[in-house]
Amino acid sequence: MDAIAGLSMGFANALSLSNLGWALLGCFLGTAIGVLPGLGPALTIALLLPITFSVSATGAFILFCGIFYGAMYGGSTTSILLNTPGESGSIITALEGAKMARNGRAGPALATSAIGSFVAGTVGTLGIAFLGPVIVELALKLGPAEYFSLMVLCFVTVSAVLGGSALRGLTSLFFGLLLGLVGIDLQTGQPRLTFGVPELLDGVNVVLVAVALFAVGETLYLAWRHVEGKAEVLPVGRIMMSRSDWKRSFWPWIRGAGLGFPFGVMPAGGTEMPTMLSYYAERKLAPPEAQKEFGTTGAIEGVAGPEAANNAAAAGVLVPMLTLGLPTSATAAIMLSAFQSYGIQPGPMLFTTQGELVWTLIASLFIANVMLVVLNLPLVGLWARILKIPQPQLYAGILIFATIGTYGISNSVVDLVLLYGIGIIAMFMRRFDFPVAPVVIGMILGPMAEQAMRQALTISQGDWSTFVTRPASLVILLVAVAALLGPKLYGAWLRRMAG
Amino acid sequence: MSLHRRNLFTAALGLSAAGMMGSPAWAQQRFANIYMFVPAGPGGGWDGLGRAIEQVARGAGLVGNFQFENVGGAGGMVGLPRFASQRRGRADSLMVGGSVMVGAGITNKSPMTIKDVVPIARMTEEIGVVVVPSSSEFQNMGQLLQALRTNPGAVAVGGGSAGGTDHITLGLILKALGRNPREASYVAFAGGGPAQAAIIGGQVKAGISGYSEFAEQIKAGRMRALATTGERRSDPNVPTLKESGVDVVTSNWRGVFGAPGINASQRQALTDLMTAIHALPAWKQTLETRGWDDAFLAGAPFAEYLNRDITSTEEVLRDLGLAT
Amino acid sequence: MTKARPDRADLGAGLAVLGLGGVAVWQALAIPTSPLYAQVGPKLVPWLVAAGLLVLGALLTAAALRGGWSADIPEIAEAPPPNPRSLALLLAGLLANLVLIGPLGFTLAATVQFTLVAAAFGSRAYLRNAVIAFVVALGAYTLFVKLLGVNIGAGLVEGLVFGTPE
Repeated sequence: MDAIAGLSMGFANALSLSNLGWALLGCFLGTAIGVLPGLGPALTIALLLPITFSVSATGAFILFCGIFYGAMYGGSTTSILLNTPGESGSIITALEGAKMARNGRAGPALATSAIGSFVAGTVGTLGIAFLGPVIVELALKLGPAEYFSLMVLCFVTVSAVLGGSALRGLTSLFFGLLLGLVGIDLQTGQPRLTFGVPELLDGVNVVLVAVALFAVGETLYLAWRHVEGKAEVLPVGRIMMSRSDWKRSFWPWIRGAGLGFPFGVMPAGGTEMPTMLSYYAERKLAPPEAQKEFGTTGAIEGVAGPEAANNAAAAGVLVPMLTLGLPTSATAAIMLSAFQSYGIQPGPMLFTTQGELVWTLIASLFIANVMLVVLNLPLVGLWARILKIPQPQLYAGILIFATIGTYGISNSVVDLVLLYGIGIIAMFMRRFDFPVAPVVIGMILGPMAEQAMRQALTISQGDWSTFVTRPASLVILLVAVAALLGPKLYGAWLRRMAG
Repeated sequence: MSLHRRNLFTAALGLSAAGMMGSPAWAQQRFANIYMFVPAGPGGGWDGLGRAIEQVARGAGLVGNFQFENVGGAGGMVGLPRFASQRRGRADSLMVGGSVMVGAGITNKSPMTIKDVVPIARMTEEIGVVVVPSSSEFQNMGQLLQALRTNPGAVAVGGGSAGGTDHITLGLILKALGRNPREASYVAFAGGGPAQAAIIGGQVKAGISGYSEFAEQIKAGRMRALATTGERRSDPNVPTLKESGVDVVTSNWRGVFGAPGINASQRQALTDLMTAIHALPAWKQTLETRGWDDAFLAGAPFAEYLNRDITSTEEVLRDLGLAT
Repeated sequence: MTKARPDRADLGAGLAVLGLGGVAVWQALAIPTSPLYAQVGPKLVPWLVAAGLLVLGALLTAAALRGGWSADIPEIAEAPPPNPRSLALLLAGLLANLVLIGPLGFTLAATVQFTLVAAAFGSRAYLRNAVIAFVVALGAYTLFVKLLGVNIGAGLVEGLVFGTPE
C-alpha cells in the first residue's frame, strides 16, 4: 500500500466519532500532564496501560499519541509563563520564553510555540509517513563514536548560552557537568559523587534541577530583593502575534523542525540536543537588532526554533518504534509494551500486517496536531492571564507546583532538599551574574558524552583514532570545528574586506 | 466522609470473611486491604507486576482494596529499608522485588538487603538471550564461545547497566570458559533501544538481554539468537547455554515479599493468597497478554531458591570486582 | 580598568567555586578503582571536572582580588538592597514543607508553605491565602490519586477525605 492510499484510509477511520473522542481526550490529558513538571507522557501512558484490556487497539493508540503530542505542547506553556519547564525538551524554550513573558510578550511567545509545535508536528508526521523507514536505516549506521562527536558539536554551540562572561559561563557549565556525574557509573557500576546517600545512586533528575535553577532560584532572589509595599504586576501585553512576529518565527519553525526530526529518529538522539542546536543556530542567524533581545528581553526566534525542534524530534521518536520496534525513549518503550499487550509486534512487518492500524494512527497524529493548535491558541489569552495573579500568590503557587512535580513522583524528601538546595545556589548565581542555562546543558550533555566516549573506546579496544577514522564521526567533528571557528573567520574576513 | 465509612464497612466484612477462612471458594475475600509497596517508580516492571496482582486479586474478590506506594531508586535499595522499617510486623503488607534487587543490594553495599524481608512467592521470570547481528561471522554459540575463549577483549558485547543481569550472564559465561570475567569487553547501554540499535547496526559483536526485548528483531531476521539462558529451551529452535557447552542458567525474576517480623501463620496467609491468585484463570490471561513467563514458586522452596541466587550472584559480582 | 580594592562579595563567590572544586576532588578520590576491562575508567571525567572547577575558581578569586566583576554589571549594582525578612520567611516556608510533608501529608504542608511564601512577598491576608492553598492542594492531590493512582504524600487531611490508608 502506498503512503497516499494508506493515509486516506487512515483519515477515513480516524474521523469516526469515537476515534475523534479518544484524540480529544488524549490531547486534553497530554496538555495537562505536560504542564506539570515531573509528570511526563511516559509515566501517564504507563499508568493508563490497563485500559488496553477494555479499549480497542486503535482507540488506545490514538489516546496515547494524543497524550504524547499534547505533553509537548503543555510543557512549553509553563516554561514560558512560570519559568518551570515541564519536561527536558522544553528547558531551552524557557530561556527566551520566560524573558518574553516577563517583558509583556507572553502572548506572542505562547502563540509562536503553539504554531511552531503545529508546524513541526505536521512536518514530523509527514516524515513518519513518507521518510521514516529511509532515515532510520541511515540512523542505525551511527554508533557511540558518532554520538560522541555529536555531543562535541553540541558543546561547541553551548557558547551561545554562556552569557556575557566566558569565565562565569564556563563555571556554570562545569557545575552542571559535576551534577551530571552524580550516581552509579553505567559502564562500571561504581557510585560517583553520591556522598553515601542511597537516593543519589540513580543520579539527579535534570527536570528537577531545571525547576530549581529557574523557578525556585528566581523566587528566592525576588524575595531576597523584595521591596516592602511595592506590588509588582507583570504586564500581559498584546496576545496576538504581530506581523513582524510571524516573519521572525517562520524560518526558525522550519529550521527547528528540519533539525529536530532526524534527531528524534536517531536511537540515541532525543529532544535535548536538537533544541540546543536550534537555539544556537537562531541566535547566530538572527538579524543584529533581534540579537540584542537574546538573553535580555527575550527573542521570539529563541522560542520558535527550539519549540519546533522539540516537537519534530518527538514525532521522530515514533519512527524507529513503528518501523523497527525499537523504543528509543521511555514513552516509546511504554507504547511498545501496549502494542504487545494487544498481541501486535511493531517492526518491519507492521505496515503490512497492521496497515489499517498504523495509517489510522498516523492520520490521528495529524488530527491531534490540528486539535492541539485549535485548543491551545484560544487558550493563549487565558494562560497569559496567569501572570495577572498578584506576585505573592503567583510565586507561592509556583513553589507548590514545583513540590508536586518533585515529591509527587518520588515520595522522597531528599529530592525536595535537592530542589531547595539547588534553588539557593541559583539565587547566589543570579546575585553574582552566573548564567543558569549552562548548568542544565552541562548536566544533559556531560553524561551522554562521557558514556558515548567510553562505549566507543571499549568497542575500539582503546583506540582513540576511532573518532576520526569513522567517516560520519569525522564529518560531524569537522562541522563542530566550523561552528567554532566559522563565525570568527567570517568576522575577520568581513573586517578585512571593510579595511 | 462517606468514603471513609465505606472503608470501615469493608474492613468489617473482611474480618468476618477471615473468620470463615478455610472454605475452598476462590471468591472468598482473604484480605480486606493489602498495602502494596513498589520500590521503583510508577510504570516500570515491578510496578507492572504489583498492579497486575491488584487487578486480578480485586477482580476475583480475593482482596477488598489495595493501597500503593512507590519509592524508586538504586534498584530498590532506596525503597527496601523504608518498607522494612515502616511496615515491620504488618501482616497486610507486600513488597514487589526481584533478581535486580539481589544484585543491587550487593553492589551498593546496602545495610539492608533482600535478606531482610520475608520471601513469599516468585511470580514471573524472563529468560535472557545471546544474540549477534544478522551480518555477524558467528553462526552458532560455539563459534562465539571460541572467540570469547581466545580473546574476550576483542568481542564487544552490549547489554544493560554494569552489574545487572545481562552483565552477570556474560561474567558467568567467561567464568565457565575458564577466563576472568573482568576481561570481558562489556558495553553498557542505558536502555533497550540504544542497545538494540547498536547490535543491529553492528556496532558491537554480540548482545545479551531479556528475550522479549529482542524477540521482534530476531523474528525479523535483524538479529540471530545463538542461545537462551534458561534451564530449558524457551524457543524450540534456539539451544540453551547449557546445551552449548557452558553451565550457565540465569533469569530475571520478579516476585513479592512480606514485611519483616510477621509470624509463621501470617506468612502462610500471604503465601496462600499468592497461590490462590496464581491459580486464577485471570492470572493466566494476564501472563499471556503481558508476555510474562510463569515462574511461580512459593513458600520454603522459594526461600531456598533465593538463597542460592544470592550466593551465586555474590560470587560473580565479586569476580567482576563489583562486590567486596 | 584595574581597581586596587578587592570585592569582598565576589571573593566569596570565587572561594565558593574553589570549595566546590575541593568537594569534587574529595568525591573523585572516593571513587573506587574499577577492576573491569575498560579503556577509560570511571575516574577520568570526574578528575577533569574537578580540575576545571579548581582552575575556574582560582581565576574567579583572582578577578575578585583585582576588584571583582559585580560593580561593573548594572543589573547587580542597581538591584534593591537585600531584604532579610522576606528571605527568611520564604526559607521558613521551604523548611516547613520539608519538615511537615512526611508527618502531616501534602495538603497541610503545602498550605503552610503557601501562606509563608505569600507573606514573604508582602501579602497579609493569611487566612485567605491559607484557604486558597488548602483548596488548590487538595484538588491537586485528588487529581493525582484518583485519576492516576499516584500517591503524593497522604496525611491527616487526605486520610479524613479518602479514608485512612491503614
